[in-house]
Amino acid sequence: MIRSDILRLYKTVHTWTGISCGFALFIAFYAGALTMFKEPVARWASPPAVGVAAVPLDDALRLLELVAAAHPQAREEGIKLHLRGHENEPARVTWEEDAPHQPGQPHDHVHWWATLKPDGTLLAQPEEPSELADFINEIHMSVGIPQAAGLPLMGLVSLLYGVALIAGVIVLLPTLVKDFFALRVGKNLKRMWLDAHNVVGITALPFHLVMAITAIALCWKGELWSAQEVVIFGARQEILMDRDNGPFEVPKPIGEAAAMMAPAQLLQRLEEQVPDLQPSFLVFKNFGDSAAAVRVPGAERGHVGDTHLGGVMLSAVTGEVIKDGALPSRQDPDRRAAETLYGLHTGQYEGLTIKWAYFFLGLAGAWLFYTGNLLWIETRRKKARDGTAVAQSRSARLLGSATVGVCLGCVAGLSLTIVAAKWLHGRVVDLNHWHAVVYYVVFLASVAWAFAFGAARAAVHLLCLSAAATMAIPLTTLMALLFPALGMWAHDSAATIGVDVVAFIGALCFAWMAAATLRRTRNGPADSVWSIRRPGKAATTSDSIPVPAEPA
Amino acid sequence: MAGDIRPDWWSKTSAGAILGLGLALSLTGLYAYLAPGGIDAPGGRYSLMRFLEAFVWIAVFGFCFLFRSGRAAWVWLGAANLIAFAALFACRFHFFA
Repeated sequence: MIRSDILRLYKTVHTWTGISCGFALFIAFYAGALTMFKEPVARWASPPAVGVAAVPLDDALRLLELVAAAHPQAREEGIKLHLRGHENEPARVTWEEDAPHQPGQPHDHVHWWATLKPDGTLLAQPEEPSELADFINEIHMSVGIPQAAGLPLMGLVSLLYGVALIAGVIVLLPTLVKDFFALRVGKNLKRMWLDAHNVVGITALPFHLVMAITAIALCWKGELWSAQEVVIFGARQEILMDRDNGPFEVPKPIGEAAAMMAPAQLLQRLEEQVPDLQPSFLVFKNFGDSAAAVRVPGAERGHVGDTHLGGVMLSAVTGEVIKDGALPSRQDPDRRAAETLYGLHTGQYEGLTIKWAYFFLGLAGAWLFYTGNLLWIETRRKKARDGTAVAQSRSARLLGSATVGVCLGCVAGLSLTIVAAKWLHGRVVDLNHWHAVVYYVVFLASVAWAFAFGAARAAVHLLCLSAAATMAIPLTTLMALLFPALGMWAHDSAATIGVDVVAFIGALCFAWMAAATLRRTRNGPADSVWSIRRPGKAATTSDSIPVPAEPA
Repeated sequence: MAGDIRPDWWSKTSAGAILGLGLALSLTGLYAYLAPGGIDAPGGRYSLMRFLEAFVWIAVFGFCFLFRSGRAAWVWLGAANLIAFAALFACRFHFFA
């Protein structure tokens, strides 16, 4: 039995760590849930292009040779050869070159793609790909605050989130068995929300612990590096870092030309040597040199791992595996542990099943922080006695507005910025910049709206906005199909149609929440921040109707 | 058992945040030096370190409110830090002489 003074203390710890991180965590989890489908979203947002199919794999060697000859910088940076034929692969090969650099400005890259013309000559063009999916990932990582400040802040948030998890479990332990299987729906609204908060929190606890630990490590990468340098390594950290990067390091070019192996043959050699690796793409480094290498990232069947950096390196001349230290099945125990933790953060294992599981765990996490705020408000709710009017405290009203504005502003902002990928394509110069503009305008306007109209009214308005913005995703695709003159596109792959279908279902959910919230604001108890009725005035009709609080 | 544990918010929170980080760094450092293969072990031990640090930090910070008082938190965690850092610096000078 845990002493009551300890329980009281940890309840306070849980309340204050939770309330100070709730907003940031909601955004991180909602955007994080969407990043599980980063790839389908990127495909959905990519305009029609030449595509991979224009150059059969058997002709790819010739294309690579032409690119290497015409673009010496591409040989150094690495020429990416695409394999899957997804809509976000503009052509068979792509690469990046340095943009003209102005002093004081950050280094920028120009993206190129290349294909073969019907007469067999090279067609290479610079074109910026849609960075919509990366933008969503940025919101996930630093909640929309510029990364220099946002990442350290999210490190702190993750630390407090870890403490909140420990505190929450300690508080729940004595009544865990009794409370766990109970969801007491009824007149005691606080009880119901608390039961729901507990059951979602406890069932997803391992997921949340992994997220807290890995997020600190990822957000405070630089800060922890400096701390390690001072106290652990004493300026010798570089040696270990170099060793750590060994499996990814590309052999230096020798300077003598050699014949490159054809990509189809390389893939065959890969299949023979590492049958369980499913390559995502190939990156040719120093093409044409006798020390040229091919990086082959991808997922290895049956392993958690980093599918973007992991994989193996082949010799581009012979197809022999020259480095396999990053391949999950051949890693040392330490790297395996580190990469497993990273893979558990990003959901990079066992394909689509885990992606869906993480999607729902992420949404459930966002919901957990939302209900945490609701419980804070409900705990401080002033109940009307004997029909006399009570005003809710200022802090409860402000927190209600902030919760509604921040959470729903994030939802509506992300949906609208996704929609903008099709509507603004070809109509603005820098679409990737506009993704940020759309998101921030919607987000900040929603927050302002919530404070101006109060939590109850704004919740209905912003839920309607979220439903409309999300419904606009499939509607945009439908419009593209019906009116080709609009210059938009509708891809027909299962992944991109999946984006439309999920958005459609999501929009229906938001619409349902809007309707339920509207009911609550009209008929629910008036002595609450979730009511639009003047407190105390309509006590005759209100308290007899048991409508569950459904703020969102 | 004499009396309830005191909240001592500021002293316990600072102990958890500061001494928790100290323990995280020193214990992880000891792992880097003393785990099989030692500091020269080939492979990915380096990538694992930040995750271990985050884990220890959260654990110490989360449980430090169990100390009877802020003073006790500082004394016990301070002592643990002293021992761990002494061992870490001994390792550092032994292996990087």
